[in-house]
Amino acid sequence: MQIREYVIRRLLILPLILIGTSLIVFTLGRVGGNPIAIYLEHEMTPEEVAQLEDRYGLNDSLPEQYVAWLGGVLRGDLGFSGVSAAPVMDVLPRRLAATLELSIAAAIVAISMGIGLGTFAGARRDRLPDHLTRVFAISGAATPIFWFAIVMLIIFWVYLGWFPVGRSDATIFASIPHPTGVYTIDAVLAGSWTAFRDAIWHLVLPAVTLGYGATAIITRMMRSSLAEELNEDYVDAARAKGLPERLVLRRHARRNALIPTVTVIGLGFGFLLQGSVVVEIIFIWPGLGRWMADAVLRGDQATIMAYVLFTSILFLIVNLIVDILYAYLDRRVVLGG
Amino acid sequence: MTAAAPATAGEKTAALVASVEDLRVHFELKAGVLHAVDGVSFDIADGETLGLVGETGCGKSVTARSFLRLIPTPPGRYAGGRIRFWPKEARQSGGEPVDLLQVPTSDMLDIRGNRIAMIFQDPGKALNPALPIREQVAEVFYQHRTEDLLEAWNGRAPRPIRRAASQRAGKLERLAFKFPPLRSQSKRLKRRVDELVGDALAETQIHNPRKIMASYPHELSGGMKQRVMIAQALACNPDLLIADEPTTALDVTIQARILELIRELQHAHQTSVLYISHDLSLVRRICDRIAVMYAGRIAEIGTTQQVFHDPRHPYTQGLLAAVPSFAHRRGELAAIEGTVPELIDPDPSCRFHTRCAFATDICGRVDPVLDGRVAGRPVACHGYASPEELGVAAAELPHLDRSPA
Ligand SMILES: Nc1ncnc2c1ncn2[C@@H]1O[C@H](COP(=O)(O)OP(=O)(O)OP(=O)(O)O)[C@@H](O)[C@H]1O
Ligand SMILES: [Mg+2]
Repeated sequence: MQIREYVIRRLLILPLILIGTSLIVFTLGRVGGNPIAIYLEHEMTPEEVAQLEDRYGLNDSLPEQYVAWLGGVLRGDLGFSGVSAAPVMDVLPRRLAATLELSIAAAIVAISMGIGLGTFAGARRDRLPDHLTRVFAISGAATPIFWFAIVMLIIFWVYLGWFPVGRSDATIFASIPHPTGVYTIDAVLAGSWTAFRDAIWHLVLPAVTLGYGATAIITRMMRSSLAEELNEDYVDAARAKGLPERLVLRRHARRNALIPTVTVIGLGFGFLLQGSVVVEIIFIWPGLGRWMADAVLRGDQATIMAYVLFTSILFLIVNLIVDILYAYLDRRVVLGG
Repeated sequence: MTAAAPATAGEKTAALVASVEDLRVHFELKAGVLHAVDGVSFDIADGETLGLVGETGCGKSVTARSFLRLIPTPPGRYAGGRIRFWPKEARQSGGEPVDLLQVPTSDMLDIRGNRIAMIFQDPGKALNPALPIREQVAEVFYQHRTEDLLEAWNGRAPRPIRRAASQRAGKLERLAFKFPPLRSQSKRLKRRVDELVGDALAETQIHNPRKIMASYPHELSGGMKQRVMIAQALACNPDLLIADEPTTALDVTIQARILELIRELQHAHQTSVLYISHDLSLVRRICDRIAVMYAGRIAEIGTTQQVFHDPRHPYTQGLLAAVPSFAHRRGELAAIEGTVPELIDPDPSCRFHTRCAFATDICGRVDPVLDGRVAGRPVACHGYASPEELGVAAAELPHLDRSPA
């Protein structure tokens, strides 16, 4: 019905948006630095440099270069990653899988904690639990993630030793095949409880750290929108029907309170992608963010462009999901182009 | 025009459905304690329609919500009085009433929507925008008619179905309903609910109940939404229907039809109605008796006839004198000179004394009581009080010109 049409339309527009994105990515790459910087060395003669430029087509016109690059992207050739000393496409899937695993885990933390805490506080407006939650939420939004990550690391790894850093125990990781690259899923597929536990154990600390900021945003939104919904007439009407408070809250107020919260979840995901760079560096997580940070430091254009392209795609997909969810929750939304 | 009044004031012959006695509901605000309802008393007799009229902010809705304990506490507080309620069984067997302000929450949940139902002012806001109509009406049946829903099982319904029929099924159970063996049974339950919801809607003269059931509130007109609210309210044959300005938010043409509908259904269901409004002409059309409210108190109570033809309280007299004016927006109470008094931490006094042409010194010092002895029916005015009881000379009391102007 309506929602399905909308999804199809959005999916059809997606390639257009992607082309736009790729244009921006390409332009940024040309403006922001020298594409062959990573291959240059001090001893090189100008002739050698010119040879390199010629080899990578840098003397062609920009549109020609763009078409060449785009053609490569479409063929699955994203160039050679200098920092990994391998073709980008050989490294990217693993990196992407690691980042996805971390961000999805963080999103699960943020969404469940955010909605749970927000509901808890919103239903107890202006009482002690509400005030405590608000302190938590405000500090969450105000704490710089690099500082918070280091504090978490010091407390839980250095002092308490409860959680490890890194993504896995090397021997356990090597003991199972990795068809998807997502460690937890691979562990389940391999039926290895040891590997699964190892994956979760490594995931907890970075995921909680990464999810904290988004948790705070979602909590705050959920709290205030629930408190607002609880003032609405339909809530009293639901009570007047004899529904127990549990149902009034869950079926009536919370459902409507989720509508503004869902939009914030989309924003929060952007937050997560940003934060993942820092968290991956601090927790030694072999994902896209860490890869990108290395690439930036060494001027590795191919890697940077791959990163920007794929995070943009991720963001687009998340936003599409959020829009669909929104339309599903709020029946008054007229879906349209 | 008025139907035979079941109970004339003073002689409580007919059985009562509800009796409000000295109800006080206060709100604790930063500025002080707001006496929104401050000593309200009235009775509702079996089968009658009692109108509760008064200017905006005088405490009509707070009074109405108190029946179902829907006042948010805090900041609200039930500061005193009681609301006694006689469910059908109690009325028939002469049993004891319950005090709605005291019954345990579980009993209250059982009364809400089942024994006492409520219709709200703005049907556009009283329906949940996120749920289809079917789900919203169905809730009443799930909540109060579980046995009815399970009739077809002859008491042998499996536990998950029984839990579903009283809205207790958990997430896992609801998942199980999508697969055999519970699938067909859960469908049967749904069909039974559909039937009841459809019947309830059809009763309010909705011609295509199935289509309406699948709609969301925003897809319906205001009148249609109010019909849904009425269907939902009367679904369980309540003893008392509280209608809080049910037509104020509607189109004039639709108002009349909704009013007619409420009247018809009230007769069919033998439901007593507490009809709240600030529209005197409207109350006059459908109420047997009228209670006039002013600033948190009842000014006077009488049959529609009495209140309109022989108003006793200066406030009512003022209202009626101003009623047929075209200068006022339709449905609004006519303005009387002066402003409504501050209800925060009020001193003992007649709340109307600042606007009353007859007020004397005592009106600003002593609370009048709602007394029926002199006036022949309950009127809260010192003009009808006995000087001996107040301990003052007769000359100090306001002297009302009692002949209708
Ligand atoms: N939740 C609340 N918190 C604080 N004050 C309240 C609350 N609910 C009602 N009041 C106050 O109680 C008084 C009576 O309000 P109420 O809603 O009963 O008026 P009303 O007679 O129904 O008026 P209207 O005709 O506008 O519906 C008002 O002064 C209002 O501000
Ligand atoms: Mg009101």
